[in-house]
Amino acid sequence: MSAAPETPEAPPDALAALGVSTPAALEQQLTRFATDVGELYRRQKERSELLEEALGQMRTTYLETVRSMAYVVEAKDAYTGQHLERCRVYGNALMQALGVAAEYPDAEYGFLLHDVGKVGVPERILNKPGPLTAAEWRVMRTHPIIGYQILQGIPFMTTAASIVRCHHEMWDGNGYPEGLKHDQIPLPARVFQVVDAFDAMTTDRPYRASLGVERAAEEIARMAGTQFDPEVCRMFASLVDDLPQRV
Amino acid sequence: MSPPVGSGGLGADRKRVVLVVDDDEAIRRVVRTVLEADNFEVVEAADGPAALLLLDAIMGRGPDAVVLDIMMPGIDGIEVCRRIDHDKMKVIMLSARDDGDTREAAAKAGADVYLTKPFSAIELLDALEKLAS
Repeated sequence: MSAAPETPEAPPDALAALGVSTPAALEQQLTRFATDVGELYRRQKERSELLEEALGQMRTTYLETVRSMAYVVEAKDAYTGQHLERCRVYGNALMQALGVAAEYPDAEYGFLLHDVGKVGVPERILNKPGPLTAAEWRVMRTHPIIGYQILQGIPFMTTAASIVRCHHEMWDGNGYPEGLKHDQIPLPARVFQVVDAFDAMTTDRPYRASLGVERAAEEIARMAGTQFDPEVCRMFASLVDDLPQRV
Repeated sequence: MSPPVGSGGLGADRKRVVLVVDDDEAIRRVVRTVLEADNFEVVEAADGPAALLLLDAIMGRGPDAVVLDIMMPGIDGIEVCRRIDHDKMKVIMLSARDDGDTREAAAKAGADVYLTKPFSAIELLDALEKLAS
């Protein structure tokens, strides 16, 4: 960078000879610093943009990694399709509507990974055509805890782990594994229960056709207060018509 | 102002110390403000003799760098630079003069960096950063 213009032959100012800055020199210095400030501001902005970009890439990478993990489980289970992705999209929309999305940034990982614990359940039980025996049910019902144990050590997965652990609890305490009720069930898990049930009801299955959005929404409303958190159900009812039908 | 930290094995955490030598009080204050904003500890001297006395007095625990004006009464900056132990500290000349002869004299006297007034705070801090690494 070049210095500010100066008169090369200028004799040392009387003030300068006394070791005192001239007003002109001070003004030049001030101008120089003003340039510095502008330059620093620009650099700072550039750096922020780069960081923002890197953060975005990291988020994408996390999400893709979690998706891959979730798909591994899904592939083992007979019930496939785009269920996971729809649960994620619906769940995010509902979290947003409830105003708690920012509070639980890793909730979507939990929506995707809710059944990750099924890796610990034998395939013959998972895909058994007929009804499960009592013993088989006991094994099946361990999957939330297995999933929780898989995720619990990951620092950015605390909400996700709680969703995995509690996605089969019910509002009235009749769920498993712990029979938690009401606020004992983490809010993101209560959100997941609603969107998971909604998606199950609006998807064609080998043994029955989709109920359709309207009837599914009615079913959800009917189960408010027993299976589901009534507050979450109310919010869900207000946004159900805006949900993307195909994800 | 806290005293320079001795050789207590605190090397990495020790605050970097810079001696600012300028007969212009306003410049000293401005340089101090810039350096302290980046967490340097600043020591001032108002002329060449004072700077050399200070460097003698704090032997072995001297500053990491000296920011040195050139045109000063008595012993000028070039001469001060010549007498500095360049193994122990870096020297940044900071002068209103911007002619080849002065730059050359400064380089010969062992100056590591030559900046002109009005100076850029960014360039000064960048230079100190680079010299430290």
